[in-house]
Amino acid sequence: MLIEGMGTLLEYEKAQRLLSRYKIKSVDSGYVKSAEEAIKFAKGKPIVLKAISQKALHKSKSGLIKLNLYTDKQIAEAFKDLSRRAAKFKPYKVLAQKMVTGSVEIIIGGKVDQQFGKMVLLGLGGIYVETFKDFALRACPITKYDALSMINQLKSKKVIAPDAQSQERVAALLLKASKMFEENKMEELDLNPIILHDNTYDAVDLRVLQ
Amino acid sequence: MKTQYADIKSIMDPKSVAVIGASEKPEKVGHIIMQNYLDVGFQGPIYPININANGKLMGRQAYRTILDVKKPIDLAVIAIPAEMVPEALEQCGKAGVKGVVIVSGGFAEVGRKDLEEKLVKISKKYKLPFIGPNCLGVMDLRARNDTLFLPTYKIDRPKIGGVSFVSQSGSVGSSTLDLISGEGFGLAHFISYGNASVVDEVDILNYLANDPDTKVIVFYLEGARRGKEFIEVARKVTQQKPIVIIKGGISPAGVGAAHSHTASLAGSYEAYEAVFRQNGFVIADELDDLLYYAKIFETQPLTTGNRIAVITNGGGHGVLATDALYKYGLTFPELTKKTTTALRKAMPPVVNVGMPMDIGGEANSQRYMEALNILNEDPNVDAFMVITLFQTPGADEKLADSLIQFASQKKKPVVAVATGGNYTKTHVALLEGSGVPVYDSPTSAAKALSALIGYAKYKKRMI
Repeated sequence: MLIEGMGTLLEYEKAQRLLSRYKIKSVDSGYVKSAEEAIKFAKGKPIVLKAISQKALHKSKSGLIKLNLYTDKQIAEAFKDLSRRAAKFKPYKVLAQKMVTGSVEIIIGGKVDQQFGKMVLLGLGGIYVETFKDFALRACPITKYDALSMINQLKSKKVIAPDAQSQERVAALLLKASKMFEENKMEELDLNPIILHDNTYDAVDLRVLQ
Repeated sequence: MKTQYADIKSIMDPKSVAVIGASEKPEKVGHIIMQNYLDVGFQGPIYPININANGKLMGRQAYRTILDVKKPIDLAVIAIPAEMVPEALEQCGKAGVKGVVIVSGGFAEVGRKDLEEKLVKISKKYKLPFIGPNCLGVMDLRARNDTLFLPTYKIDRPKIGGVSFVSQSGSVGSSTLDLISGEGFGLAHFISYGNASVVDEVDILNYLANDPDTKVIVFYLEGARRGKEFIEVARKVTQQKPIVIIKGGISPAGVGAAHSHTASLAGSYEAYEAVFRQNGFVIADELDDLLYYAKIFETQPLTTGNRIAVITNGGGHGVLATDALYKYGLTFPELTKKTTTALRKAMPPVVNVGMPMDIGGEANSQRYMEALNILNEDPNVDAFMVITLFQTPGADEKLADSLIQFASQKKKPVVAVATGGNYTKTHVALLEGSGVPVYDSPTSAAKALSALIGYAKYKKRMI
């Protein structure tokens, strides 16, 4: 049974393809059915494992995320533990992702407002979203000025975009995400977190509700 | 999207008026409205309508129904019990009335949606726009049009000016109107539109956008009925004139369950605030801000610069001003060499040339003007905060007069700060009456300057 009142959660891989159509980068991912497949996916690089289910919306709260998996042994143990924890959220799938590290996490989201229609959100992301509630919101469509003024509105603007280039980068990403949200049948969108690193970014978790 | 706007010119600026529900009984709403039209000296014909009329009412020929008048009528004001309103509106339609204000309550606001829907149907049938029901209606002192059922002795009518005040709520509207009357600025239009079942905020903003008398719109909004059209019209208006807005009902309302972070963060109030920001509204946090902002926008030129020259005849107020500027994202100018040299020469040795500039408790009109004229030439000065504490020996009527002269150049924005009792209040009235906005603290002055600059930057789409 799905959570009541919720739209359908778009398949991770479908969501990822949609993102790439709008040239929004997301981290390398793939579904894995076993520890062996996960180890094969890792190719010796650190990975993350996530259990994905329509019934569990907060993966980190439900213990459905395993970070920092460097060795085959760690991956195998994590897969086993994850499967145990995810059992009560059946049906579920396990997603393996390359691990991305960066100190700044942002959220870009979308929702449909009763009054004004589709709206796009930018904020300090990751685990800080609900704590600091530092976000800016605009009605779609947005202009470049809107995107820049959203960044400027944040208390964390110096953290998220400390210089003109990073502002341009975040603004461009925001414009793409807003366009995607506007042009597709979507009720809610969470790109959270998007990790900013090495003069680029990667969307690490995607949630598209249709 | 082709937005439809109701034409409300006949309601705002009528040449003839009928009052449906006019009565000799002073406690009746219809009586008060009739009396107001007589008091404000409405120039055109006024027709009292009362179902029991026989001969004259309040000195005018009265009619049983509006159909009996048989003359052109621009505006009909309906002030009768709710159950009788549909029939009266139907008769307005048949009589060719051009616009209606329905002040009567007892419709959707008390669960009688059915009755209100009847009104909407009749309005469509006759293409007859109406404001209300359940509202105070309109007041325009230039057109001497006044549908407010508040006796003139109970609420002060403001003077004529460039601020139009729109309020969904009648109580916020009338109490704020009373406050406005105590301020130095004047009113272009007052509109309280109640249930907005036909004429809504979109129509009103569209009208005010094109109204040459309106320089600033002040808006108390509880909810916009047509979201997309609201955005469209607002964007058009704010490119021409500022809309100072306060939103009633900001506490989070649980509208369904949110399944994403985005939906749980961005509630209905946040959406309104976002739309306000995105479209250049000047957002007021409280009712006082409406007044603070209205008077600076009505009188002062815009600037995008945030360097404020502060001169004061009290040291403590200089310190408070410094804190206030910082709090609202403003700063002091870095004065040019030319300016400091000229100031050094003009000011007595005790005056420390710099910002904030304390020109001394004994400073008189002449010293103020010397300092202001020199600072006015400095390209690094974007605006002025002039603190005039009228308790000091040098501050008198002459100072108020010269400051009015100085501000009338309208080269850079000027605000004054004066705090005090009766003597001060007299001078504040003088200043505000001649277009210098006065604030009771450096904090409110800085807040107003910050709002002015924010709007100017939006107009140029500057971050």
